[in-house]
Amino acid sequence: MNNFLVITITILVSILLTMVTFALGPFAPDWILLVMIYWALALPTNANLYTSWFVGILADVAYGSILGINALTYTVIGYLIIKAYRFLRYMTIYQQTIIIFLLLFLKETFNMWINLILDTNDFSYGDYYWKTLTSAIAWPIIFYSLRSIRRKYNVI
Amino acid sequence: MDAYFKKTFRNFYTFLFLIFLSVSVIALDFYHQKLNNIRSFITDLVIYPISYISTVPKNLLEISLVETQIKDDMKSEIQKLKEENIKLKIQLQEYQAIKDENLRLRKIQKQVKKVDEKQLIVKVLNNNIHPTKQMVSIDRGKKDGLFIGQNVLGLKGLIGQIVEISALSSKVILVSDLNHNVPAQITRTGEKVIVKGKNKNNELELIFVPTNTDIKIGDSISTSGMAGRFKANIPIGIVKDVVNEKEKKFMRVSVKPLESIGNASELILIWNTQDKVNKENDITKKTDE
Repeated sequence: MNNFLVITITILVSILLTMVTFALGPFAPDWILLVMIYWALALPTNANLYTSWFVGILADVAYGSILGINALTYTVIGYLIIKAYRFLRYMTIYQQTIIIFLLLFLKETFNMWINLILDTNDFSYGDYYWKTLTSAIAWPIIFYSLRSIRRKYNVI
Repeated sequence: MDAYFKKTFRNFYTFLFLIFLSVSVIALDFYHQKLNNIRSFITDLVIYPISYISTVPKNLLEISLVETQIKDDMKSEIQKLKEENIKLKIQLQEYQAIKDENLRLRKIQKQVKKVDEKQLIVKVLNNNIHPTKQMVSIDRGKKDGLFIGQNVLGLKGLIGQIVEISALSSKVILVSDLNHNVPAQITRTGEKVIVKGKNKNNELELIFVPTNTDIKIGDSISTSGMAGRFKANIPIGIVKDVVNEKEKKFMRVSVKPLESIGNASELILIWNTQDKVNKENDITKKTDE
């Protein structure tokens, strides 16, 4: 129960951050995905794949994109994390930042592909990739703050 | 070791299942629009409260700014508003006379159009709700009888149309969005043009204007009512710049909207187009069946 509450609240806060930073336009970091990545890394269980899918649906509604696009990309990222959490946990924060950058690059590329296939006119190439850079820069902040929250509330 | 492999396979099957689920959700939402109920449910339950919280600091700031205004300022403002009110009332009388005359003339021509004048003033909740699109969210929804495609006006001219509705809030796409086109006309000549947004608050452009079109700087542009989405004769803007380049088929015309489109804090909704849109829906339903 404790786990569920803490994770829900952090995800809601990440949606709030997303809404506040819409004003930054293409430079706004992908807060929801960063928080999702942290929880997948901390608790790599099978149930968290479902969680990442559901968070993706929430992100779709928050961003106003077609339902399912972010759900798909978030699931892919969640699965990659579950496969690779053993390496990622022992990396230093700088190495992790680079990996996060690559993961986000992959996610945005997927996002763009889906938009191209559906022909939604919802893409502009430069805009998508600024986000990956700012998100990677924001990763250490998310990592340390969520780790302190996890230790304080004993989420295992 | 067996357990380890079992676990990885379980992850893999879950992954495949979720991918399949996402693809079917995308297909349902994009090709059939069946999931609008789920979307509006999540919006009401999660997104609306959060976006309300996100605007609290801004609102508090505005309230405190208003309270610190000096009393004299308020008095002079009231005086100004009173004068404006009188002016508007005089204008309204003239307008009423013209309207009566217009109605009489229409009766002579046996073309009496029913004028539905239901209006609603709504508050803008949030100016930035999408990273790349020009959209705003407003504080009324399905409960107040809004519908998709409803025209949204500002105090001086056209602002946009409603694209997404949930029970408590809805989203408006602005005419300044890059992918938004409005069928319009040059008011002076009645020639039909298309107004396209440029993702800028104070600039629109006309597309597909042939080089021999009679258009000048200062011409006003208004909606033409073609296609039935927008009501006719809503002012949009004034022609700011006309560039006629040789060896090109179309002119480059930029239009200045009558007000800064993304910055309005109150918007007006009108109800004239509802019947037409409903009819369209009926027709599409029939063809679907």
